[in-house]
Amino acid sequence: MATLDQKSPNVLLQSLCCRITGKSEAEVAHQFQYAVRVIGSNYAPTIERDEFLVSEKIKKELLKQRREADAALFSELHRKLQTQSVLKHRWSVLYLLLSLSEDPRKPSSRVGNYGALFAQALPRDAHSTPFYCTRPQSLALGYGERSAALSASVGTSGISSLGVYTLNGPTATPQSLLAGQPPQSAAGGGQPLGSRLAWALPVSCSPSSALAPLTTRPALGPPVPSSRVVRPRRDGEVSEAALVRDILYVFQGIDGKFIKMSAQDNCYKIDSKVVLCKSLRDTSSRLAELGWLHNKVRKYTDARSLDRAFGLVGQSFCASLHQELKEYYRLLSVLHSQLQVEDEQGVIVCSESTLTLRRLLVWMYDPKSRLKTLAALVDFCQGRKGGELASAVHSYGKTGDPQMRALVQHILSLVSHPILNFLYRWIYDGELEDTYHEFFVASDPNVKTDRLWHDKYSLRKSMIPSFITMDQARKVLLIGKSINFLHQVCHDRTPPGKITPASKSADTPKDAAELLSDLEGAFQEKIDAAYFDTSKYLLDVLNRNYLLLEHLQAMRRYLLLGQGDFIRHLMDLLKPELVRPATTLYQHNLTGILETAVRATNAQYDNAEILKRLDVRLLEVSPGDTGWDVFSLDYHVDGPIATVFTRECMGHYLRVFNFLWRAKRMEYTLTDIWKGQMCNAKLLKTMPELSGVLHQCHILASEMVHFIHQMQYYITFEVLECSWDELWNRVQQAQDLDHIIAAHDMFLDSIISRCLLDNNSRSLLTQLRAIFDQIIEFQSAQDSLYRSALEELALRLQFEEKKQQREDEGQWGVTAEQEAEEKKRIQEFQDTIPKMRSQLRILTHFYQSIVQQFLVLLMTSTDESLRFLSFRLDFNEHYRAREPRLRASLGANWGRRPSNI
Amino acid sequence: MASAANTNLNAVRETMDVLLEISRLLNTGLDMESLSICVRLCEQGINPEALSAVIKELRKASETLKASENCTN
Repeated sequence: MATLDQKSPNVLLQSLCCRITGKSEAEVAHQFQYAVRVIGSNYAPTIERDEFLVSEKIKKELLKQRREADAALFSELHRKLQTQSVLKHRWSVLYLLLSLSEDPRKPSSRVGNYGALFAQALPRDAHSTPFYCTRPQSLALGYGERSAALSASVGTSGISSLGVYTLNGPTATPQSLLAGQPPQSAAGGGQPLGSRLAWALPVSCSPSSALAPLTTRPALGPPVPSSRVVRPRRDGEVSEAALVRDILYVFQGIDGKFIKMSAQDNCYKIDSKVVLCKSLRDTSSRLAELGWLHNKVRKYTDARSLDRAFGLVGQSFCASLHQELKEYYRLLSVLHSQLQVEDEQGVIVCSESTLTLRRLLVWMYDPKSRLKTLAALVDFCQGRKGGELASAVHSYGKTGDPQMRALVQHILSLVSHPILNFLYRWIYDGELEDTYHEFFVASDPNVKTDRLWHDKYSLRKSMIPSFITMDQARKVLLIGKSINFLHQVCHDRTPPGKITPASKSADTPKDAAELLSDLEGAFQEKIDAAYFDTSKYLLDVLNRNYLLLEHLQAMRRYLLLGQGDFIRHLMDLLKPELVRPATTLYQHNLTGILETAVRATNAQYDNAEILKRLDVRLLEVSPGDTGWDVFSLDYHVDGPIATVFTRECMGHYLRVFNFLWRAKRMEYTLTDIWKGQMCNAKLLKTMPELSGVLHQCHILASEMVHFIHQMQYYITFEVLECSWDELWNRVQQAQDLDHIIAAHDMFLDSIISRCLLDNNSRSLLTQLRAIFDQIIEFQSAQDSLYRSALEELALRLQFEEKKQQREDEGQWGVTAEQEAEEKKRIQEFQDTIPKMRSQLRILTHFYQSIVQQFLVLLMTSTDESLRFLSFRLDFNEHYRAREPRLRASLGANWGRRPSNI
Repeated sequence: MASAANTNLNAVRETMDVLLEISRLLNTGLDMESLSICVRLCEQGINPEALSAVIKELRKASETLKASENCTN
């Protein structure tokens, strides 16, 4: 007997049956079968597998019975038991003993305890309710507390997610359905369970019914008038019990005998042929609504739960609905078994404790309102999925009813769980596991890695749950994008854990619920932390490994002509090449020249990484172009930095370069003109007839020099340097790559618009181009003037020289014909001078009129710095004196905005 | 070997004594033999909740049986 040999459970059970009933094996066959069935049903134990808890419970039990000495004795025995290692399942044995224990002070009752049966029917491992998670009910509680907890777990099974509200709230729940309650609590009127339970016990109750807690039930409110019992019954009238039975079926959406689904009214209706008093008919039709609600919810879950494309969020929504339905079924099953018990015992025995429609009405009040909410939710969520669904559920949580809010909150926490899962996977690993397109970050698989940052990922606006703000969503998008960018473009294989130390968080559903309740705080913090770390890491990688900032500076130095000595030298070297027609240029020649320029100037000290990207590019040649028109510097970008310097950006850079290059060339040309004037001034002094023309030239040249200098000043200092400074500040302060890209785009935009390259200032640009053309034309005109003048000068000198030579030889210096010839030539030359003058005059006139137009346009421009440029160009009001329009517009401007001056 | 078996037997006996004592304290109404059967069942991992339900049911059944016998007698 004492050896714990391994007999099969069935053999043991059989001997147990014999032992307890005191009968032979054959006689107990029936009981044995029952025992095997119960044991074999193999439902999960609903209690904590914790020896300590069970032993504490036993102690509490003993203390309750005022047996302190026994409690001490028990602890002693328990300690002894713990020293032995024979038993493996000590808790199990202890629990068995506890559940079989009986208070010796109470009359023994070994009959009619349905608690165990109920415990089977309702395994109390309720998982749908947060309340249960935090407070296992097998924890030893005081009686009052415990029964309350039990009532919360069983009585309110239809309304499980209410959490604490039900516990203390005035909710009328069927207290009598306390399953598993030890009998003494029912009889113990003085227990802290409260007088409610006590006075509700029928005074006349026989001990047996008092000990079977299921049959005793507290009345809810004043005792129901028992007129119903004495009311004379009409012929053929349906009894209330039958109706109750029907209603219980209807609750589950099954047609009853009398109450049936009416297809045309779409509701449950009592058969009109049935004879029934009005109040009952009324009550039952009110109850029957539950069936309709149940059907609605059920239909939704049934339709969706097999639909894979409905997505994870949808699935979890269905699951949460299922949980609620399960709680509802649980309540129904309790009611059913109650009905069963009544049937067995006969309704007549205790008429006050039977199920009546009225009681059902009260008990079903809460489940009904919950089902209503669920039905409304189901209606509202029709056709939605993913984040949209979560938004829909969330919007339902904004109600004043705390119970409904708790219910919706609970559903929401389940529904948003997959979303939060997506979110964490995305911001910590950069992975998008969104097969059903439910997450608010969308990925376009067709986009190649070079456009990854700009085009690959986008926000699905409709899928952003309403509890996540747009700002947060954008950050989330950015975080994951950064991680993917690091992986795919930068080929940075740093494990995500190193980037964000916070990524080791556990993403349990509880976590989700917490985050939802405290979205502002913890969630925001998490996102912010991840955002900050990831972006910082990305910028570090870009700056350290890919020299982003150096490239930015290189752009400024080379494409925006920041490196003056290099550009000047390049222009010197290129000049002979570029005056040739564009078609005769060859890229390799120019590349060679570029190399030379780099080697000869400070550019040689630049990073090799940058210099090797510098290249020459020839624009498309149109007929008549010279090399100046098609030449352009180029800067090759690839890999990660191409994300900042996109193709459009480079296009903009090239346009700006082209403009700057042209302006620079004007400066260069004017320098040449000035040089020519200086060199030739002395030589040509001997030709007084030229002085007028030369003077004209000098005036025009200095006018142009002034213009170009002011233009250059404006471009260099007011446009380039200012914008650059702004860009640099922004880049230094940038928190993520998007900031840098935005700052850079802004930089380019402002340069383009202020260099008159955008559409708005097209007319200004054409004027400017015309001015440039005039400068070129002037150069050629002056060149030809000097050429002919110098030629003439040389001839005259030659003539003088010859004359001198002959005089030295003792001959006549000049013959008459010679002199005549000389005179004729000089005359001819002098005849050309007025032609030159007029040509110059035309040029000057043309130039000035263009400048005046340009000034008028500048005056009327909206950009302040352009207006200031016009002041600077016309500082002595030289043009204003000639152009009435300038005066007018200036005056108007003076009048309009005095603050500008 | 024999001594080991002996100590094991002793341990088992002691355990059973302790359990019987606890059972008495808690007034479970189990005698030594039923208790030992129960313990063995528990050790095989049977759900104690179910087992207690079965025992209560059996008691009730035997009660009613006895009552009916009394009636017939």
